[in-house]
Order: sequence, then structure tokens, then C-alpha cells
Amino acid sequence: MFDEIFAEIPILTLLLVIPLIGAVATLFMGGERQKYAKYVAGAFSGVTLVLAILLMFVDNTALLSENYLWIDAANIRISFILEMDGLSLLMVLLTALLVFLVVVFSASESDRPNYFHTLIMAMELGLMGVYLSADYFLFYIMWEVTLIPMYFMISWYGGPRRHYAAIKFFIYTHIASLVMLIGIFAVVFEAAAVNPGVIADFSFAAVNAASGSFGEVFQVLVFGLLFFGFAVKMPAVPFHTWLPDAHVEAPTGGSVLLAGVMLKMGSYGIIRVALNALPDGALWWAEIILVVALISIVYGAYACIAQTDLKKMVAYSSINHMGMVMLGIAASLLYVKYAASPDASIAQIGIMFAVFQMFAHGLVTAVLFMVCGYTGHALGTREIPLLGGLAGKLPAYATFMMIGFMASLGLPGLVGFWGEFGVIFSFYVAAEAMGMIWLIVFCLLSIMLNAGFYIWAMQRTLFGRETTKIDLSHVHDVSKAEGFALAVLCVIIALFGIWPDFALGYIETFVANFAIPGV
Amino acid sequence: MFIEYTWLIPVIPLIFFVIIGLTGNKTPKEGGLIAIIGALASFVLSVLVVYEFLTGPAYNGGVGYVTDAVTWFSIPGGFTLTLGYYVDGLTCVMLMFSSLISLLIFIYSIGYMHDQGKRSRRYFAEVSLFLAGMLGLIISNNYLMTFVFWEIMGLCSYLLIGFWSFRHPEGDAASDNAASAAKKAFIVTRLGDVSFMGGLFVLLYAFQSLDYVNLFDPAAIAAVDTNLIVLATLLLFGGAIGKSAQFPLQDWLPDAMAGPTTVSALIHAATMVKAGVYLVARSYPLFVQSADVMLLVGLIGGITAILAASMALNNMNIKKVLAYSTISQLGYMIMALGAGGYMMAIGMKEGNAALIAAGAAGYTAGVFHMFNHAFFKALLFLGSGSVIHSCGTEDMREMGGLGKKMKWTSITMLIGSMSIAGFPFFSGFWSKDLVLESVMKASEYGPEGYIFMIIWILGVVTAFMTAFYMFRMWYMTFAGPKGHATEHSHGESPSTMTVPLMLLSIFAFGSGFLILFGLDGIITISPDSITGAFIVGMHEGHGAVHYIEELFTNPYTYLTIVLALLGIYIAYLMYSKFSVNPGKFNKEGESRLYKALEKRWWFPQLYDWISWKFGYGIAKGVDYFDRNVIDGTVNGLSGSVVGSGESAKYVQTGNVGNYASIVMIGVAAVFVAALVLIYYMGGM
Repeated sequence: MFDEIFAEIPILTLLLVIPLIGAVATLFMGGERQKYAKYVAGAFSGVTLVLAILLMFVDNTALLSENYLWIDAANIRISFILEMDGLSLLMVLLTALLVFLVVVFSASESDRPNYFHTLIMAMELGLMGVYLSADYFLFYIMWEVTLIPMYFMISWYGGPRRHYAAIKFFIYTHIASLVMLIGIFAVVFEAAAVNPGVIADFSFAAVNAASGSFGEVFQVLVFGLLFFGFAVKMPAVPFHTWLPDAHVEAPTGGSVLLAGVMLKMGSYGIIRVALNALPDGALWWAEIILVVALISIVYGAYACIAQTDLKKMVAYSSINHMGMVMLGIAASLLYVKYAASPDASIAQIGIMFAVFQMFAHGLVTAVLFMVCGYTGHALGTREIPLLGGLAGKLPAYATFMMIGFMASLGLPGLVGFWGEFGVIFSFYVAAEAMGMIWLIVFCLLSIMLNAGFYIWAMQRTLFGRETTKIDLSHVHDVSKAEGFALAVLCVIIALFGIWPDFALGYIETFVANFAIPGV
Repeated sequence: MFIEYTWLIPVIPLIFFVIIGLTGNKTPKEGGLIAIIGALASFVLSVLVVYEFLTGPAYNGGVGYVTDAVTWFSIPGGFTLTLGYYVDGLTCVMLMFSSLISLLIFIYSIGYMHDQGKRSRRYFAEVSLFLAGMLGLIISNNYLMTFVFWEIMGLCSYLLIGFWSFRHPEGDAASDNAASAAKKAFIVTRLGDVSFMGGLFVLLYAFQSLDYVNLFDPAAIAAVDTNLIVLATLLLFGGAIGKSAQFPLQDWLPDAMAGPTTVSALIHAATMVKAGVYLVARSYPLFVQSADVMLLVGLIGGITAILAASMALNNMNIKKVLAYSTISQLGYMIMALGAGGYMMAIGMKEGNAALIAAGAAGYTAGVFHMFNHAFFKALLFLGSGSVIHSCGTEDMREMGGLGKKMKWTSITMLIGSMSIAGFPFFSGFWSKDLVLESVMKASEYGPEGYIFMIIWILGVVTAFMTAFYMFRMWYMTFAGPKGHATEHSHGESPSTMTVPLMLLSIFAFGSGFLILFGLDGIITISPDSITGAFIVGMHEGHGAVHYIEELFTNPYTYLTIVLALLGIYIAYLMYSKFSVNPGKFNKEGESRLYKALEKRWWFPQLYDWISWKFGYGIAKGVDYFDRNVIDGTVNGLSGSVVGSGESAKYVQTGNVGNYASIVMIGVAAVFVAALVLIYYMGGM
């Protein structure tokens, strides 16, 4: 219904331009004006969110693609290509929503609020770019654009060990990006090499068209490079230790964006880049991906149990939940690899629910980090042993925490359940093809452990006797702005939980057009 | 006419949950009135639906069920998940007792919760959601929807058991206790839920659907590998074990007494623990594919029945006694379903119609016992709530002699106790004897039939124990000299509490007679002689003569009657006449058996040990490994890359110049990498 309007404007480019303007505008709001920075950031992120929502109603998919030639040197062509399909749409929606809510939630940020909001808007620019670009060069640039604001976010606005955490985050993920970049160069130049006379075109389409001619060894080696780059970002065990440190030190807004949307860049990259460009490589690596996924799931869940810092526990739970995403991807690959006569549509299940899980985790983890953030700044500590019986004094806080925890542990009726349900089902299908259905025991164990650490954490923070270890006399329940951001997320979590088809519909059209390796 | 609106039955309390949650404090009785209206609406609609169904064409000569559904979502590969309703005889019976008893409990709650102030809102919102969960589970047309509502009930039981988990009126220790009980209930039942979920995966992949109509289709069942069905039913039964507190996951239920007594009544009579039994009954067409599975079901039921009854023998807490009795009675239901299914499975394999009919009688006995138990257990819990409300304690040693002060409570509780004890003609008598009869009959068939003989003995001993501990409870509370708490009690409870008690006592006495007037025809299951499809209900009912003849010509009926009377008599001697000193069974507190019972056969310790060993212990190891080995390696590597010692220190100083240099190193690395690549690619 909005098709006529959108035909006139380059809406995808606007999704990048608006945050960019917002970033520049807030950057120059120093001095007296800095207290207005949040309104500027709110306005720009709000407009972006509205645009992203309107995109859901576009019927003519031709409008969701923009292509401008950028660099056309003698042997190299780099384009500014933005494309949107079901996968991108969900990620863009998630980004726009979380950025807006982070701005709302951080309304009381008083330390250089203009720079804080500049960093948020810059991150939005980078994230939108990553999820929309269909050109490797643009993709990589945008990938790096997300990194730098996050680094400053941690090192300027973070906790006591912020410098250590920021530099660790930066070096770790930067090394991963470099490895990924080598992989990107490899596929782009190999695509040019296998077709004599063709110049090195960085667009996804050019590489995907040539990927059938890539040699087996090349695919296996380069998939390894890309997979490493993306697995660090997700993060997968054993490349995950930057994450808990980064989260513990990052400010709430940074944590929400880091866990809510930046981690998804990793799984997005695997699906969008690695599987498409290197299908044979993906199939060769399938078992390794499975093992990494299962280890992340079980290891992540166990690590949560031992944490005493509420935020660190939530950070480790991301490793568990992103492991589920990787498991869905592995399930699709393994089904194709092992089924006697793989059915093309059954092969889609894993990727489909992996995407759903990404979306679900983004929503849920935002609530979790907001709740943890509130705990830290309102109570002065996030150490679980120091808390207790808070439900009596802080009923709204307790309610939000409970909804967040329940959604995260996969309670049906909330969005988290469907991601887990679908991924484990896809894995059951793959495991049956492999003749090893007992493997789903690991997933069931993970569900059990999730229930265990969340319920135990609630028992120790919200229930039981009211703590006397910290002074609660001046503590107020969540503010109106915080409550608004949390309530919006909770409503959305319930909405998608009751009717998952709102999101599954978009994913279905995406996977229907997605080339599953080997099918 | 009404049946198309069956889906509204759970939706009404669901909407009322939201309304109470948002506006509760501004409404009469802190949302209590709204909750009652919701429960009443659900009850009335249930009655209309049940009436229309039982008089409608589907039930009278039709397929035996009415179902309708919308697509919820679909999964590529032809898997369709639906949302809808499925009404058959079992649905009708479940709907009737769940909605009626919940309604009575809600009314009673107004009186019981009147001193809770603003907390009442939370209470009434949560019980409404709880009711929605149970009703949704009952009308659900597929396993996925069943699972969703099953879990919603799990959540509500967690919230309600932990209702006093903060700022408990009795102080901090009680808060801690409630918080811990809520955690235990959620995690232990979750173990069963995870098993249930595993069953969903197996069934969904095997049948491409989870709709009952597709799964119970004999042609579809025949097309699926029997091993997969066995696996699926075992996993589903795992869910039932958790929810219905069967051995070995029974230990959450006694702890769950930390919640308000009305919640206990709701959990034990109308919702929650009935869900597991219902799941087994509902899944009968799948369960009867294997006699071995049914044997296991029966055995678990038998073990649970006697194990729980034993723990009630020396407990001093009035609610805990009732909790153990629930577990024990659930064991009877599961035992009957197992025996019936066992006979049906063998009967179907051999094509023996008589044996199939005997199996159907077992199913009837199990469901019938669930139906009766709902009424007398609701009565007993609400009665105990009235006692606790009046005395302010749950310890029976402080009570005694309450009968004079609380006339209505004591009389109605006596009716409930006689019912559960199996006193002749009270409701529990009919169903318990039918259960035992089925188990006895099952022992005659199959190579492993003798195991049912053992189960029968367990059941009979349990019947004796039940009579004893129930009357021990009654005598300790209402008879004998006045206890310390009796002196300070407020006397009889208000009429919002006693009227539901009276109504329930009518049912608790009389619900058993329904089997003489055709209830058994509604709650029976049999494979259709032509299509082989399982049909619930649609029978005439055997009639009063059949049952009276069957029960009273059976010598074992007299055995259980004698045992029940003996149990009551011993309780009378010990706790009313005081001619036998119960203390002599525990000389100087040294009795090992006594200690075992007090320690609940060490199940709490077992749970703790498992969660410690396989939960926290491993977690500690993982955490250590994570911080030292993995992160240690990472930091060591980065130290050697960036430069050890001095330069690593710079990295952590926050000097911007250093960051810039790192970025430059990165950029340089990119270019080197690119050059190498371009060279490797053949000099583009």
C-alpha cells in the first residue's frame, strides 16, 4: 500500500542516511546544548524505526533493492548495493527498534550525552549497513563501522575495567574481521579468476554466480576463514571470552545493542555470506559447526550457573542462545549431507528457525540487559549474593525481570520458545538422518540448565528475605522512560510468542529463495 | 451453536487475567469479583458446550468428537501446526470438574484472601491465568497447544507456590521457604516438560502434524515405525511423571504447600497435577501400541501410590498429609490407566474383544478416580484452609478438639476423609475399587502380568494406609482435647468459605454414584470395530446393576472395605481414644523407618545431590576452565602478538596513541593480506 510512495524515494539509503545525520548532529551538540542530544537522537532513531516498520508493508520487492556504481577501476568494480529480503527486514527492524528503545532507556545518561548518542547513532548506521549491503566491500566497511563506536562506548562509558574490556573487545573482534577480510578477498578474486576476462566484482551476486566453479579445497579453506571471523562475532566457544568482559564493563545501552543486534552480525554473515559463496565448504564443515554449536550451547549454559554477576550470567546466556542459532544452521547442512534423498523444503527448517532465534534472542536479551543495567545503577551492585527479596520493594522491576527470564528460558507463549522449538526440531530431523537422535539430549539438557540458572537467579534476587547487605532505603523502581522501553519489548515478546507467524512469514519467503548448500 | 465457541472457554479467563493485571486494584475485592465472573462465564459456557455435545449428532452415532482449528503456522516440508478445540467424552468430564471446582475455589478465595490487601490482585490475576492454562489444555486439539498451556500452568504454579516468597507475613524464613519451594516445583516439573517436548519432536516428524485427529488415526499409526511411537509415548509419560508428581519426580508437590491453601486446592483438585493423568488418558491410542509401555505406566503408578502414602503416615502438617495423599491418589489413576492400557494392548494384538473391553474398564476407572478425586480433594484442601485460617498454624499437634468450634468445617472434612478413605458408597469407594479390580484383572494376562499382581498388592496396602492417615488427620484436628492453637482460633470461617465446602461435600459424597447412571459410557475408550479408530465415550453405560453386582460379588471389595475400616479404627484408637500410643512405633526416636519417612525416603537429598553434582559442580569446573584455560590462552596469545610485558601494560593504560597504533597495525595487516592475495590470484 506504500508502494507508490516508496517508488519515489530511495528508502534503503535513507535507513543509512538518517542515522548518519543523527550521529553528526549530536556530535556537534556540545556545551549547553548537550542535554538536548537525547531528543535529537530520539527523533532520528524514531524516524528510522517508522521507516523500518513501513518496509514491512511493501509488496513490490523490486523496490527493496538499490544499486549505485561506486568504484569502477580497471580491474575492480565496487558498488553501493543495498538489498532487503525477509532476513534483512527482521534484522533491520530489530536494529531500529532496539536503537530507539536504547535512546529512550538511556534518557538519564548525564555523562557527555551528546557523544553517547553520537556513538549509538553511528552504531545504527553500521548495523543497518551490514544488514542491507549486498556488496562485499560495503559489507566490510559497515562491519568495521559498527566496531569503532562500540569500542568507544565501552572505553568511555564503561565500568571500572573498561579499558581492558574495550581493548580486548577491539583486538579480538578486529583480528576476526581481518581474517574475514582475507576470506572476502579470496572469494572475490577467485570469482574473477574462475571466469577469465571478468573483472573483480565485489557484489554478492557476482560471487554467488561464480561459486559453482570454486574448487573444493579452496572452498574448504576459505570457509574456515570466514567461519572463524563470524564465529568470533556470534560468539562461539572457544572464541567467546571477549564477550563477558565487554558486557560486564559496557554501559546498558551498549550491552543491549551488542547482544541484541551486533552478535547477530556473526550468524547473519554465516547465512548470507559463507553459505552462499562457499556451499561445498559449508557442507565439508557441517560436523565441525555442529560440534561448535553443541559445545557453545552446553558450555554456555553451564557457565551461566556459576556466575555471581547478574550481567555476566546474562552475557553467558547469549553464548548459549547464539549456539542455538548455529545449531539451526548446522541442522540444515547436516540434513542435506546425510539424508538419503534430501527434501529441499525440509532442509530449510534449520535456517528458518535459526533466523527466528536471532530475532527472538535480540528482543529477549534487550530486556535482560536493560534489567541488569537498572540493577547496576539503581542498587549499585549486580552481585547476586548481595541481592534478595527485591520483589517486595521493586514490583515493576521484578515483573520485567521475570518476563525477561521466562522468555529467555523458553517459556511457551513468549517469543523465545519458538526459536528453540524450531531449531531443536530441525536438529532432530538432521539427527535422524544421521542416525543419531540421541544427540538432541544436549539440547534438552540446555533447556533444563536454562530453567535452572534463571529460576535460581530469580530466587536469589527477587524472592526470599529482603537483602540487608545493601541499602535499599533510597532505591526507586524503574523510571517512566525505562519502564516504557521495557514494556514495549515485553509486549512485542508476547505478541510474537502468541503468533510466531508474524515473523515466520517473512522468514519463510526468505528461505524459499535461499540456496541451501547442496540442494 | 455453542460448540463453535469452545475456544472461548480458556480465552475468557485469559482476558480476565490481563484485565485484573492492569486494573485490579481499582475493582471490587482487588480483582476477585472479576476473576469469579470469568470463572463463572467459563463454567457456564462449559456446561452449554458439554450439553450440546452430548446431545449432538457427533456424539450420538457420529464420529464421537467435534474439532475445528485454524493454522497457527507451518514449517517447510509439510508440517502444519494448528490452534483449535477438540471435544469428546474425556474433554467433557475434564471441563466439568475443572471449571466447577475452580469457580468454587475462586469464591472461597474472597474470604481466604481478604486480609492480603493489594496482593490479592496478583493472586486473582494469577489464578485466572492458571485456570486459562488448564482449560486451554483440556480443549486443545493438538499436542503443541497442549504443551503451551501445560507450560503456562507450570509458570502459574511457580508464581502461586511462591506467592509468599517475599515479605511473608510470618517472616523471612517463611519467605525463603516459599521461594525455594517455587523454584523446586518449576525445575522438577520442567524436567518432565523437557521430556514432553522431546516427545513432540518425535511425533511431529513422524506424523507431520500434532493434531489429535491425525495422530489417533489408525492408518497413520500403522504407517509409523512402532519403535518411534514407543519412544514418543515414553517421552510423553515423562511429562506426565513431572506434572502429576509420579515417582521419581514426586517430591516437588509436598514443598508446594508453601503457597496459599487455595492454590494447593487448585493445583491438586482442578488443575496442574490432573494434567499429567489427562495427558496419558488423552494419548491412549498411542500408548496402547505397546503393552510394555503400559506395564511401566502401571508400575510407576503403583510405586508412587505406596511411597507417597507411607510418607503421610507420620507427618504432623495438615497440608503435607493432604499433599502426600494427592500423590498417592494420582498413583491410583496412573496405575489404572496402565492396567487398562496393558490389557487393551494385548487385546488388540490378539484380537480379543473381551480383553479390549476389560482394558476400557481400566481407562474408565482411572478417569473416574480423577473425577472423584477432584471433588474430595478440593473439599479437603479448602477444609484445611478453613482450619488454618482459623488457627493460624498448620501443625496438627497444636490443633485438636476443633470440631466443636468449627462445626461445618469438621463435618465436611469428615465427608471428604471418608470419601478418600474408600468408605462404602462414598465417591472414593467406587473408583478405588474399580481401579484395583482392573489391576487385578490385568495380572491374568501376558508373560509379565504377574507384575500387576504386585501392583495390586501395593494398591491394597495403600488403601489401608490411606484410611489410617486420613482419619489420623481428622482425629488430630477435630477430636480429642483442645490444642494450643484451638484455644486461640477464630472459630468457624465466613460463609464465602463454608458454602463452597458444603457444595463440595455434596459432590464428594455423591459423585461416585454417577457411574451407576451412565458416566462410564462417556469416559470409556474403544477401537471402532470397522475403522479401528479410537472412540472416547458413545456408550450406554453398564448401569447400576452391573457395577453393584461386579463390586459386591468380588471378594476383594470386601477385603478393601475391611482394610479401610481397620485403618480408621486404628486411627481412632491412637488419636481419639488414645488407647494405643503411636509413639511406640518410634521408640526413643530411633526407628529407622520413622526417620526414612521423615526424610521423605531421602528424595530431597537425592535431588540436591543431582543438582549439585550435575549442575553446580560442572558449572564451577566450566567457569574455572573458562577463566583460566580459555581466557588465559587468549590473553597469553594477545600478549605475545602485541608484545609481552611492557607493551601489554600500555595496551591497558587507555593511552589513545596506543589504540591508534593498534588500528594502524590492523590496517597495515589488511594491505599486506590484500597484496599477498592479489599476488596469489595471479596478479590481477
